[in-house]
Amino acid sequence: MKIIEDYPFSLSGKKILVTGASSGIGKSAAIWCNKMGADVILIARDQKRLKETYDILKVGNNTYYSLDLKTYEVIEPAVYEYVEKYGKIDGFIHAAGVEETIPMQLMSPKRYEELFSINVISGFEIARIISKKKYINPDGGSFIFISSIMGTLGQSGKIGYCSSKGALISGAKAMALELAVKKIRVNTISPAIVETELTRRMFTSLTEEAIKAISEMHPLGFGKPDDIAFAAIYLLSDAAKWVTGSNLIIDGGYCAK
Amino acid sequence: MKKQEFIEGLQEALEIEKIKLDENTNLIELDEYDSLSVMAIIAFVDNNFSKKLTGIELASITTVQSLLKLIGLENFSD
Repeated sequence: MKIIEDYPFSLSGKKILVTGASSGIGKSAAIWCNKMGADVILIARDQKRLKETYDILKVGNNTYYSLDLKTYEVIEPAVYEYVEKYGKIDGFIHAAGVEETIPMQLMSPKRYEELFSINVISGFEIARIISKKKYINPDGGSFIFISSIMGTLGQSGKIGYCSSKGALISGAKAMALELAVKKIRVNTISPAIVETELTRRMFTSLTEEAIKAISEMHPLGFGKPDDIAFAAIYLLSDAAKWVTGSNLIIDGGYCAK
Repeated sequence: MKKQEFIEGLQEALEIEKIKLDENTNLIELDEYDSLSVMAIIAFVDNNFSKKLTGIELASITTVQSLLKLIGLENFSD
């Protein structure tokens, strides 16, 4: 394989689907995958910001679909349309996700269901669809679920969020074993706090002191979306051909403390 | 459900691409038939007939016809 000899981290010729592509980690990952040579399929709800991401991309068979992932039935038609037009898919990054900080007593079954619907089930559904022989590159693929260090650590007020992110880590391991026969690798990335719209919103409910305390738990400070995008590039590339069922922690040193 | 509908759904569930399944196809001789196929058949039958077959029952099947008989021919509309 010429690519792995010359530049194993290249994503040239690969087609990557990215959810949550309108902002934060998903947006950065989509832009960087495209810079590394991939064609990207952008998925998010917000059509306006999705188009903004699309307009930044370099030339290629890129496209975007404004979809509400909670309506699972909309996923396959979009995948089918893309594959019919441009060919089979090589990779997938599930960066769509919501965060909620809610005291346990104010949680409800409905809130858990909505959280899991976006954070977990939509991701697993997309993986299920893309992993079908008719949509996935027969040479294999690479799926990434963006989890969080909160998927293995706990925090007050985050039972829903932590459990949904933890579900991605365990689910990805099971998926990795089941899809190995199709040469599809499955991994998670667990970021600590990355400066995005999601964390900005989270901080609005905290005091200055609380934010400072959280910042001090990160030896290298808060991260940037491209810190996670670079990890995604590695996992999607042929350089990571022997990496599956793993959880890559990118946390500025948070977990080392 | 019609038998043909079932067979087409089975083809999709088992992701068999090289040949087109019919009642006489010997499932267990197919390259693609493995332990995951057994799980897929159990789930596919459960989804369509609310009937949970077991691995032991499936160990006795050979052709698609034998699977139809295991599910019960009376469960098909043709």
